[in-house]
Amino acid sequence: MIECPTCKHQEFVGTLYCGECGTRLVHGASVPTMEVSRGHVEPGEGTVTKPGAQEGPELESGAILGLRVVSTGTVLSLIGRENYTLGRLVPTQAVIPDVDLSPFRAHEHGVSRMHAEIRLDYNGVHVIDLESANGTHINGQRLEPQVLTPVRHGDIIQLGSLSLQLISRYRV
Amino acid sequence: MAGEQDYYKLLGVPRDATQEQIRRAYREAALRLHPDRNVRPGETELFVGVNRAYEVLNDPARRGEYDKELRAAEAETAEKSGFRCSVLHSRKALLQLDEPQVHYLLFDVTPAPGFKVIRPPVNLCIVVDRSTSMRGQRLDQVRSAAQAVLDQLDASDHAAIIAFSDRAEVVVAPDQAKDRSVSRARLSLLQAGGGTAIAQGLETGLTQLRQSFQRDGVNHLLLLTDGRTYGDEAACLEMADRSVTDGITISGIGIGSDWNDRFLDDLTSRTGGAAIFLDTPRAVTALLQKTFDDLGRVFANRVRLEGAFAPQVDVRSAFRLHPDPTPLSDALPLVLGHLGRDDSIRLLLELVIHAIGPIHELPLASLKVAGDLLGQAPDNPPLAIEIRCPVTGEPEHEPPPPEILATLNLVSLYRMQEKARHEAELGQASLAARRLENLATHLLASGERELAKAALGEAERLVHTRHLSTEGEKRLKYGTRALLLPSKSGAP
Repeated sequence: MIECPTCKHQEFVGTLYCGECGTRLVHGASVPTMEVSRGHVEPGEGTVTKPGAQEGPELESGAILGLRVVSTGTVLSLIGRENYTLGRLVPTQAVIPDVDLSPFRAHEHGVSRMHAEIRLDYNGVHVIDLESANGTHINGQRLEPQVLTPVRHGDIIQLGSLSLQLISRYRV
Repeated sequence: MAGEQDYYKLLGVPRDATQEQIRRAYREAALRLHPDRNVRPGETELFVGVNRAYEVLNDPARRGEYDKELRAAEAETAEKSGFRCSVLHSRKALLQLDEPQVHYLLFDVTPAPGFKVIRPPVNLCIVVDRSTSMRGQRLDQVRSAAQAVLDQLDASDHAAIIAFSDRAEVVVAPDQAKDRSVSRARLSLLQAGGGTAIAQGLETGLTQLRQSFQRDGVNHLLLLTDGRTYGDEAACLEMADRSVTDGITISGIGIGSDWNDRFLDDLTSRTGGAAIFLDTPRAVTALLQKTFDDLGRVFANRVRLEGAFAPQVDVRSAFRLHPDPTPLSDALPLVLGHLGRDDSIRLLLELVIHAIGPIHELPLASLKVAGDLLGQAPDNPPLAIEIRCPVTGEPEHEPPPPEILATLNLVSLYRMQEKARHEAELGQASLAARRLENLATHLLASGERELAKAALGEAERLVHTRHLSTEGEKRLKYGTRALLLPSKSGAP
């Protein structure tokens, strides 16, 4: 049996899409994730600037979570689920991340198609690196793949070299 | 060569078996079938056959000769068949595994080249629901759409229009169909009123089709309804099964939100047809026109996939992707309906394969594509397809073919919708709502804003009322199916 990385549903070997949540269970060939030089992802790049106390008025009403793309200032609201995969949609591929970062030049930034996941539960908000090629950093600290790391409002989540700031109205 | 048995099959060994494998298989078969210990009828002949097979295959020179003949004979049979078929596997090799594994097959059936192009005579019967709810725009549209089709009939075509409510009557008989003033006058008599007894309409329609049956043409019944039939579903399905044997296909158009989509799907798909959902009656004209045009382009009817799967292989699901995306029953023979002349039939099978031991190759299935070619010389054997797949001990990391991935992605969206509906019916409203939200996310990611909105709307409704709307159910079901249409998925 194989396990769906998103919902932990068990499927037979060879299954291509999770019957429970529709997550793609294998990675196909496409443009491989770009290698970015180490320099880009080492800490101390000056991206760790915490926002003020303001709690993201840019969030859509009803949203308690969001991501601000640091380079453009765009705010992506996360609504309606308890977990969101972050990645890069490739038109010819059926890997569909919940949050598609390709409008933010994700490919050049070294974002994998399924790069990381944000998970919400009663313990708070967590980020998990989905064994991405260029790694996920929280405030400059590189995450171990597949390990839940708690994040708070204002934290910088770096996918490859793409920086996202977490906006959270979530109270534990 | 023709008519003779395949020696390899007789011994139960693969074509590339080693001499040792052949010897072992022979010894086993000979022991089992030897006349001294076996007197069951037919087995002596089998014993003789096995001996002959061994005699040939055990001698490398004679085996080489035989292989050549066998391939030539097979190629010749395949050449004569009116069909071509390609099969794509989701994996290059199966795994030696003591638990079940999933394998997908994508079939493309196309007409063989070199056949003369003809337009088959069309024998069409349109069966119209004239229950009270059809009053007004719905019936007006159907009337003008039907008239438009009647106006285009060829000399060799036949058409009839049946209306039903609690009973059925012939509105336009075949001999009136080609006379414009008569058919117009007859159609104007078509007025709404009464209930929806589909069995009545079907029976009268099928009777008309049988009376003007075209042996060398397409015989098709198109059912238009906007309501539910009560109590006569079983009778309808029985009629549908009988019509398959006669070579009559049934397709359905459901207008609005109150018809029974599951019933119409079942009724039509078992004949090789499909049900289509229209949220507005305005589209009836275009749809009727398309149906009529497609019938004039049919190359073969009663197309079906026959044969058998290996004992350790189960078909978990079968889905016709083109034309008219529809889930099919998972039992052979699969009824596939019409094959158009410049068209294909695309089919996705999901197989569950049970434990595989240390072998090099697994024969998955021995299948045949059969069907009746319209207006062609009668000598057209079905196309035999042997499906086998290598087995390895090491998992390989080659990605599945993109066509299979793209298709499966869309099929999985359809399945999510089905599952949510099932959960809603079981009273698991919050589970269903979450699933629809998830579906909406996937749909948005594929750029399907309207459909995503519909899914979110239904999810919200589930939270408030614990039920899906009858319209939303259909919109999601047929909407996710429509994602598989070539314009969207890039399939041929």
